Amino acid sequence: MGYGRSDSYRVATTQENKDVKEKPKAKGADLEELKKEVPLTEHKMSIEEVCQKHNTDIVQGLTNAKAAEFLIRDGPNALTPPPTTPEWVKFCRQLFGGFSVLLWIGAILCFLAYAIQAATEDEPAGDNLYLGIVLSAVVIITGCFSYFQEAKSSKIMESFKNMVPQQALVIREGEKLQINAEEVVAGDLVEVKGGDRIPADLRVVSAHGCKVDNSSLTGESEPQNRSPECTNDNPLETRNIAFFSTNCVEGTARGIVISTGDRTTMGRIATLASGLDTGKTPIAKEIEHFIHIITGVAVFLGISFFILSIVLGYSWLEAVIFLIGIIVANVPEGLLATVTVCLTLTAKRMAKKNCLVKNLEAVETLGSTSTICSDKTGTLTQNRMTVAHMWFDNQIHEADTTEDQSGASFDKSSETWVALARVAALCNRASFKANQESLPILKRDVAGDASESALLKCIELSCGGVKAMREKNKKVAEIPFNSTNKYQLSVHETEDENDNRYLLVMKGAPERILDRSTTIMVQGKEQPMDEELKEAFQNAYLELGGLGERVLGFCHALLPEDQFPKGFAFDCDDVNFPTENLCFLGLMSMIDPPRAAVPDAVGKCRSAGIKVIMVTGDHPITAKAIAKGVGIISEGNETVEDIAARLNIPVSQVNPRDAKACVIHGSDLKDLSQDQMDDLLKNHTEIVFARTSPQQKLIIVEGCQRLGAIVAVTGDGVNDSPALKKADIGVAMGISGSDVSKQAADMILLDDNFASIVTGVEEGRLIFDNLKKSIAYTLTSNIPEITPFLFFIIVNIPLPLGTITILCIDLGTDMVPAISLAYEIAESDIMKRQPRNPARDKLVNERLISIAYGQIGMIQALGGFFAYFVIMAENGFLPSRLVGIRLYWDDRSNNDLEDSYGQQWTYEQRKIVEFTCHTAFFVSIVVVQWADVIVCKTRRNSVFQQGMRNKILIFGLFEETALAAFLSYCPGMDVALRMYPLKPSWWFCAFPYSFLIFVYDEIRKLILRRHPGGWVEKETYY
Amino acid sequence: MAKDDGKVTWKESIWNPRTGEFIGRTASSWGLIILFYVAFYIFLAAFFCLTMYALLMTLEDNRPKHQDRLVVPGLMMRPRSGNPFLEIDYMMEETESWDMYVQALDEFLSPYNDSEQAKKNYECVSDKYFFQSDSGSVKNYPKRSCQFHRSILGECSGLTDRTYGYGDGQPCIIVKLNRVIGMLPGGKDGEPPFVTCAPKIYGVSEDDTETTEDTDKMGQVMYFPPNGTFNLMYYPYYGKKEQVNYSQPLVAIKFLNLTTNTDINVECKVTAPGINAVNVKDKFGLKVVFRLRVNSRN
Repeated sequence: MGYGRSDSYRVATTQENKDVKEKPKAKGADLEELKKEVPLTEHKMSIEEVCQKHNTDIVQGLTNAKAAEFLIRDGPNALTPPPTTPEWVKFCRQLFGGFSVLLWIGAILCFLAYAIQAATEDEPAGDNLYLGIVLSAVVIITGCFSYFQEAKSSKIMESFKNMVPQQALVIREGEKLQINAEEVVAGDLVEVKGGDRIPADLRVVSAHGCKVDNSSLTGESEPQNRSPECTNDNPLETRNIAFFSTNCVEGTARGIVISTGDRTTMGRIATLASGLDTGKTPIAKEIEHFIHIITGVAVFLGISFFILSIVLGYSWLEAVIFLIGIIVANVPEGLLATVTVCLTLTAKRMAKKNCLVKNLEAVETLGSTSTICSDKTGTLTQNRMTVAHMWFDNQIHEADTTEDQSGASFDKSSETWVALARVAALCNRASFKANQESLPILKRDVAGDASESALLKCIELSCGGVKAMREKNKKVAEIPFNSTNKYQLSVHETEDENDNRYLLVMKGAPERILDRSTTIMVQGKEQPMDEELKEAFQNAYLELGGLGERVLGFCHALLPEDQFPKGFAFDCDDVNFPTENLCFLGLMSMIDPPRAAVPDAVGKCRSAGIKVIMVTGDHPITAKAIAKGVGIISEGNETVEDIAARLNIPVSQVNPRDAKACVIHGSDLKDLSQDQMDDLLKNHTEIVFARTSPQQKLIIVEGCQRLGAIVAVTGDGVNDSPALKKADIGVAMGISGSDVSKQAADMILLDDNFASIVTGVEEGRLIFDNLKKSIAYTLTSNIPEITPFLFFIIVNIPLPLGTITILCIDLGTDMVPAISLAYEIAESDIMKRQPRNPARDKLVNERLISIAYGQIGMIQALGGFFAYFVIMAENGFLPSRLVGIRLYWDDRSNNDLEDSYGQQWTYEQRKIVEFTCHTAFFVSIVVVQWADVIVCKTRRNSVFQQGMRNKILIFGLFEETALAAFLSYCPGMDVALRMYPLKPSWWFCAFPYSFLIFVYDEIRKLILRRHPGGWVEKETYY
Repeated sequence: MAKDDGKVTWKESIWNPRTGEFIGRTASSWGLIILFYVAFYIFLAAFFCLTMYALLMTLEDNRPKHQDRLVVPGLMMRPRSGNPFLEIDYMMEETESWDMYVQALDEFLSPYNDSEQAKKNYECVSDKYFFQSDSGSVKNYPKRSCQFHRSILGECSGLTDRTYGYGDGQPCIIVKLNRVIGMLPGGKDGEPPFVTCAPKIYGVSEDDTETTEDTDKMGQVMYFPPNGTFNLMYYPYYGKKEQVNYSQPLVAIKFLNLTTNTDINVECKVTAPGINAVNVKDKFGLKVVFRLRVNSRN
């Protein structure tokens, strides 16, 4: 390959392994098949064989009859759209997925209980009915909310449809026909020209300067030459295959269609991407685990009290209603909404930082990520060629490659540089597009190929006025670059009016340029090219090549005036001027430089325990150079080859375990067994995969996932889309990304900047921590909500807390404080710790339940009961009188029930007292939840360390208090919600308990901090 | 990998012989956590008891802190039967159908036996509140209660007619005003509250003819003591701790000529000048409604 690139890179760990990979199961056989490499063989066949295979003729093309027959056999040349999920199915998924199931079961149980009551009692209490309705409403509302949040997403195949070309020029029975591209069949002889989209996978039979842009398939942005010869065993790299839906940039070509529709390479990738099972997001798994715990607790409580109530002499029916009541009471009604809102808030916050999240649950996934497989081009790099180094005057100069031109500059005074710059500017077909004078040079659009653009920009930046220079030095002749010559040449008039000589400028592959030079310019003086200088050249060339840079050589010559007088007719086809014995000027090397923020971001990922793997379609050397540049291969870490080179021993003698880093070529990856792959991923911390195909990207992702990692994949091309889809979180690029990749992804980086991922990781980890806090806060109030009902059953006291008041807590006062915890800042540097282990570090674990239910919740319940007893006692019913009173209390016909003082109460009088108790219990829960929200702010730090800077939380405290006061004092609430005004003193009943919660938890956290790893941490740190 | 040894059967998840773990914890681990929770709950219980003790200290022995829910005392009747609505429904000729009412009344009235009252209670000056105020720190304790003789209830006392008229189709019912400590139902001036019974008029749209019809059906009633008054001397009530033998005054109502075999809704109401009964939403506030039906084969 030209331009000094080497393709002979091989990795030492490769062993020939002919083990046929066992196909896992018949079910996945199709997908497994798709994951294999493209089974194209046509590129290795001769044209005759291809014709034979497809029953076609190289001149005449197919006969119309054959074409019709093949069309029937193969179907139209179009990608089958994936079975689209109807909108209502998507809606139902929101409605019945994950957390909602819990609430639905609760609602159904409520209706069941109401039905039992309605069937057996004359005047059934409406509580269960209302509760059922409210639960259903909560699920439906939050379901709609999430549905609309995600409504914009997942239309994966739609842009594939747009990629299908509309028309194609085919030759059938010797006649050129313009037909609908869908009617193209295998065997058709097709002609394409610059600007066309390739209508199907083609075996090129003849080409004239044809270049195709394969970027959407391979990720390589450089247009590739197409010619009839087979240049590589890999069908993706060989020149004689043009792929369906890629673009022909220039030239013309004629080819035989070898596959159509879904059987094309692109079709296979599309089918692969849409057929992949994405699996559950980590947060969905966590929520599932949480549901298991909650359901376990609920069923355990329900069954125990069912048995207890049977023992206590309740009837079966009553016991069943109690059972249902207890199970339903365990459902945290508000949590679904809280979690949804918390995730939405984070999604919004991330969108502000240029991370657009398509799937709400993916918000957290990035936080759990332990491996990032990053594409190189455009993600880690700027995706534009830039001149990085120059070699002249026997010295390597470094050019500024930063995006904002903040880097160092080099010495521009040398005359060699002036000459070199002139050649670079003149022997260059790239030019700035019009009307961009106001833009910074680097941002301007350039017409021309990447290397020439890089040179143009470099010269414009350092010397300026390329356009003027070209006008002064009019071009009189030109030989464009071709792969045989490997150089480009042009002849110009000189600037000097008096000098009538012509200037010949040439650039191209360095070794070719060197061959054509006999002299070399050093410090502005021409010197004969001696061996010493040749060696210097070789060293520089190798060094620059080793940096993964594309190196170009430059030379010029002033043509003698006597042989080439003014007006000499230069003939470029039959060259009538010297192209040898020129004067060598220097080398310029180009690279797609890393983005400025990437090394820092990679470093942050490192310190956050995230393994960054580079997966690229690019060449190993370039990949390695960039990997080293951005820190994916960190300083001092060597690959097996490096060690071998350093110790001067063969690669095979190096212990692969000694090398932490490794660079793996796609063709080696192909031969690796699953075990070898696992071994590779496990034992190397710094891995670069080069020359990978889309299928291999997928295999890499699967390999990481098999090892238990949560994998994020970043990418922008169609070739990345299967991996994006398969990854736990696919991150697509917003600017450069193809639509397909955006649709396969869960998240889109709007600024294409890898550094934004770090923000995503940070936000994801923060929301995971904060969700824990939020859930701990919400679950705590479950205990003061359940215990009243339990005591109502066991000791027959009037009900201390009613269903309506429970709903007021769960869906009213608890909501804002719970959500406000999502705004809590991190307790420690979350980017300094390891990613969570999904097997061990759960969102909700026994310790959280233990703290929330067993400790804080119990204190809260006592606070509520205390308020209840205060009100009862102050109204005349002492605790001793209350125990066992339930049956008389709830008897409507008993209107002279005696209290502890001998007074007699009617049903309605004592019910008002009971509802006042409900209100007071409710207010008490609000009061103890004040302390709880402050306590839940931190998991380890003291509140005094964390501070009270969370404004939303402070607002939440006031809001819940105001809401509680409103519910208690607003006229009409007695009728609407059966809540009654409280005497001011009753507000203070729970204060001691609130204070106790605060003190207790501060002490717990103090011990936690003092004795890391101690018993308290093991039992209570959630 | 973690997955391999993480795979435990459900049997092992209960009892793991390798690690000696019972439901994921070793014996010492269980011991510690149980110990912690026992200690924690004992502490909580103590804390709760402390606050409860503080609460009980603030309460007065003889009078609850708040009585604002008892401004309008309820009126209740005996015999009490039926749920959720009060009703008396029996067959005149079948003793067993009304025997329970008689028994209930017998039982209810037994503490009012004249002999019992004379023994325990004090003969008060009638038609006057019987205040027994404490003089400064000296408590007037125990407070005396006024006698209420069963015999005052005359024909409904069960002394003359052991069946309280149930067998004759002239049933007696007894109504009583709920006890509320310190309540003065007769107001400052001391007009005794009295009971009147009338057929219940449901709704506004019903016209007068029906009312009169119901009046006819209910027939005449007779009140014991005469005029159906609650004598003022039984007020104020000082609570069951101070006034241990308090006898709640009663009014008996005898339905003299009920129409048989029909439902009659009767509402008995107390007119009490001392009670501000505006906007009484309570169904039993100063009134009691019940359904009366006497069936007869004739």
